Amino acid sequence: MVPGTPGPASPGTTVEPQGAPDLTPHPAPKPKDAPRTMRDVRLAREGRRKTAPRSTANPLREGLRLERVPDPAVLVLFGATGDLAHRKVVPALYQLWRTNLLPHEFVLVGIGRREYTDESYRAEIRAALGKYARVQPVDEEAWQSFAERVCYERLDFGDADGFDALAKRLDAFDKERGTRGNRLFYLATQPSAFGEIVAQLGRVGLDHERHDGGWRRVVIEKPFGHDLDSAVRLNREVGKVFRERQVYRIDHYLGKETVRNLLVFRFGNGIFEPIWNRRHIDHVQITVAEALGVEGRGSFYEETGASRDFLQNHLLQLLSLVAMEPPATFEAEALRDEKVKVIRAVAEPRGADVERTVVRGQYGPGWVAAKSVPGYRDEPEVDGSSETETYVAARLTIDDWRWSGVPFYLRTGKRLPKRATEIAIQFKQVPHRLFQDSATEPDPNLLAIRIQPDEGIMLRFGAKIPGLGIDVRSVTMDFTYGSAFAVDSPDAYETLILDALLGDASLFTRADEVEEAWGIVDPIIAAWADAPAPDFPNYEAGSWGPEAADRLIEHDGRRWRRI
Amino acid sequence: MVEGPSAPAGEGSRSAAVGEILAIGSRPAGSGRIVLEDAPRTGEPTLRWRSRARSIDQIEQELARIWAEPNLQTIVEGEPGRHIAARTSVMNLVVIARQPEIGERCAATIQQLTGRHPSRTIICSAADPDGPSWLDAAIQAHCILPREDAPETCAELIYLTVGGESGRHLDAVVAPLLIHDLPVTVWWPGEPNLATEPARDLLGMADRLIVDGSTWSEDGLRRLGDLAALLEDSRLAISDFALIRQYRWREAIASIFDVPEFLPYLRSMRRIAVAYATHDETGAPGSTNLVKPVYHVGWLASRLKLQVERPLRPVTGTSKPARGSGPPMSRGLAATLRDGRHDVSVVVRPAVSPMPAGTTLRIELLADRRGSELRADVTAVQEAVHVRVWLDGVEELDRTFRAPRWTDVDLLAQAIEVGGREPITVEALRMAAQLAGRTAGAGPDGGGAAGEDGGDRQ
Ligand SMILES: NC(=O)c1ccc[n+]([C@@H]2O[C@H](COP(=O)([O-])OP(=O)(O)OC[C@H]3O[C@@H](n4cnc5c(N)ncnc54)[C@H](OP(=O)(O)O)[C@@H]3O)[C@@H](O)[C@H]2O)c1
Repeated sequence: MVPGTPGPASPGTTVEPQGAPDLTPHPAPKPKDAPRTMRDVRLAREGRRKTAPRSTANPLREGLRLERVPDPAVLVLFGATGDLAHRKVVPALYQLWRTNLLPHEFVLVGIGRREYTDESYRAEIRAALGKYARVQPVDEEAWQSFAERVCYERLDFGDADGFDALAKRLDAFDKERGTRGNRLFYLATQPSAFGEIVAQLGRVGLDHERHDGGWRRVVIEKPFGHDLDSAVRLNREVGKVFRERQVYRIDHYLGKETVRNLLVFRFGNGIFEPIWNRRHIDHVQITVAEALGVEGRGSFYEETGASRDFLQNHLLQLLSLVAMEPPATFEAEALRDEKVKVIRAVAEPRGADVERTVVRGQYGPGWVAAKSVPGYRDEPEVDGSSETETYVAARLTIDDWRWSGVPFYLRTGKRLPKRATEIAIQFKQVPHRLFQDSATEPDPNLLAIRIQPDEGIMLRFGAKIPGLGIDVRSVTMDFTYGSAFAVDSPDAYETLILDALLGDASLFTRADEVEEAWGIVDPIIAAWADAPAPDFPNYEAGSWGPEAADRLIEHDGRRWRRI
Repeated sequence: MVEGPSAPAGEGSRSAAVGEILAIGSRPAGSGRIVLEDAPRTGEPTLRWRSRARSIDQIEQELARIWAEPNLQTIVEGEPGRHIAARTSVMNLVVIARQPEIGERCAATIQQLTGRHPSRTIICSAADPDGPSWLDAAIQAHCILPREDAPETCAELIYLTVGGESGRHLDAVVAPLLIHDLPVTVWWPGEPNLATEPARDLLGMADRLIVDGSTWSEDGLRRLGDLAALLEDSRLAISDFALIRQYRWREAIASIFDVPEFLPYLRSMRRIAVAYATHDETGAPGSTNLVKPVYHVGWLASRLKLQVERPLRPVTGTSKPARGSGPPMSRGLAATLRDGRHDVSVVVRPAVSPMPAGTTLRIELLADRRGSELRADVTAVQEAVHVRVWLDGVEELDRTFRAPRWTDVDLLAQAIEVGGREPITVEALRMAAQLAGRTAGAGPDGGGAAGEDGGDRQ
């Protein structure tokens, strides 16, 4: 976004919202930083005046892709030899580098237990880029300059001396590579290691932000805890070392283009917000469907299941974005405050409720995309009598003024017929049926926000079929983002890593959000533990889930959308 | 109505009776269907419709007919295929093409954007200005299949050739063909006569004007002045490929001052020098297009909120000949800017180079702060921009940014994607015109730059 040219503020004008730094190179003369409005006074008092000090804003950046570039920094990647690092984190960093979005003074330190030298680790990730880089082929020149900034450090998380050595090496980078004390610790390891790594970082003082401006941030991958207790415990462990504003919990769904666009769509268009409530909306359906199975991660999935893997994070995040109140500003805290309020207002299904409002499923053998696939219990590393759910559907309600009485139907599952993520807002039937005699009654309006595979927005409305009678048919107005075209939308990891380097936490999950979301999922899992063993497998791979899920919604006189 | 010349641009060898709908392929008698010979290929625009018209009414009828054809579907190998999606448009794009070849080239660029920015495109050329009035239109629909299982996106393209007096009133021809409520972008490649009455009428119905200042004849600065004048007397948004193309330079220059130690020097700029390529061994002002070098200074000056103290004027005297012997070389143009307390001198000088004339070769910045001197030197090649910085003579920075030059498709996409008037462009353009001494206030003697460039070429 390009800010207008800010003119000298006349007395009584309110200042720009926070987060929109005033970049006027020669500010109008005024007493140094004197608060001018009530809002100024309040913000100053709260110590929240975020506007960058004028002297640090580069006026030549106005109107460029980034109005601010990330500071020089070292990114320390724990779990650098793992799957996520190879498939997502490193390709995203390379892409950011290739398009000049990373600082010149940048170093990536990969950490793992495996034996690598700097050289052999570079070769390893070069091979990974050949497979996973978003833009192929890999640009050799860009790679060469990126590779110069990559090193490897062999370190076991239990090795205290190793962390001392790491701290020294990082200090050395500040001198040799000009990284200025800024560090981003990226935890791409199994979750059980998060606490230990953070404690080690704290022990060697790597959490301390320096007075001369060096910042320290930590990015934590999902899952964040496996239930409310463990999430609270982990938050506490992390909180002992880092302050909340230093912590960036990733839910990569929030980095996706359409999810970000959802905010623009809701709050940038005047016509939707007035009807975005119980008076006009009948119900909301949120679907996150995967065609894939557990893909060799059987042991991980056995301990997780669909409710922990998707419901607790992606589905509830989408729900909060659809249902939240408009934030006062687009600043991280304001946005996240509103999201938390919604999640807090979700009525938690408990005990006997769970049976009526939540359905779990597990796939048996079947056919997906013209291939025969095994059932979940036949997957490698999976117990032959496993009770882990690979599907979950829930009917949730939000107890607040806006949404009272509007059900939110959520579903997610593996081995469904296709990969699709969609939010559907089903509007109410018109209050008076004028066209009852029409051969086909008009369907109520529907707004579908597709997130994958092809991002876009669809609106369904009724139109008269040409001719003498009044026959009404539903037609759709479809807006597709470039999808298959050359539109170069960034991968979610690119967006999120860049945001973390820039210090913008809007698209990351806050501690209280995580805990509130577990507060919804925990009682469900507890109720299942008390219930008799489920009749798994209860849906065929390649179908849209168990019949019970259909009954769940049909009971209310509604149907799942065919996607 | 008088018969026009042979088939206008874009129409192949097949010409047809007025208003007849032709499919590419054949239409079995009485079936009312268009049968395609080849299946459309994903991601590639295909011509799916064409017909001719000789009046505005006929064009309107044809446009309505394309999308009203009830069974417009593709038949691939005897199997009924997909439905062609109804027209999709996000804007009206009017191209003013003096020559048919220019129209062809623009059409090719626009087609690459069918999927991304489907528009109703009207490519206008005027012909035979002194003859009687006539109009000839070739109407086409181009479709693109984003994915195997997606509906096609189609957009219309109208090649319009207008003869006689009508050619001087393009606004009257174009207005009824615009899809209302959608923004109107006028793309005017070549040499637009922006100050003329007909041009003003045409631009009066536009929201955005796209030009390429680097292609203008002579030094291009008179047109730059006309362009800047449009900012003052209309609400038109302006995109100039010449300015958009400099994005990679701007990003590289800005990056220097991301370094906290260098940032304060921005407030103490003393000299901005831009060297540009010329093919003229004397480098005499007036012969080489100066729009690009002047934009660089215009952008810097506007971002730094400098004022024009004295606009660009030829520097007296000459320097050594470009090659040992030969005529002496011009020392280019000089101007003075002011940042409140200090003067900032500006030099725009020619250098004989095989690069296209008018291309920026080098930008040098000199800043002086409390006796300490920062010098920056920025150069660019096809794929990269190179930045070097010295602090008191010691090299502090040497960086290469990989940033390929943009193609016309990239530039058009960029121009279309910005919404509304974009302050950075407005300010850079305004400042560039002031530097050139070509502002509304500045008359021919207002310190005008290099050589007068003759009257209005119509
Ligand atoms: N993979 C995905 O698609 C995906 C998607 C979303 C989120 N995530 C999350 O991302 C995280 C990482 O997943 P992943 O699939 O990448 O795991 P992974 O392939 O098992 O990688 C684990 C990494 O941690 C390192 N590591 C483990 N224990 C260590 C120790 N004691 N000392 C030093 N290094 C140690 C391993 O190094 P060595 O191999 O060298 O021992 C390896 O680099 C998990 O939290 C996961 O839930 C993964």
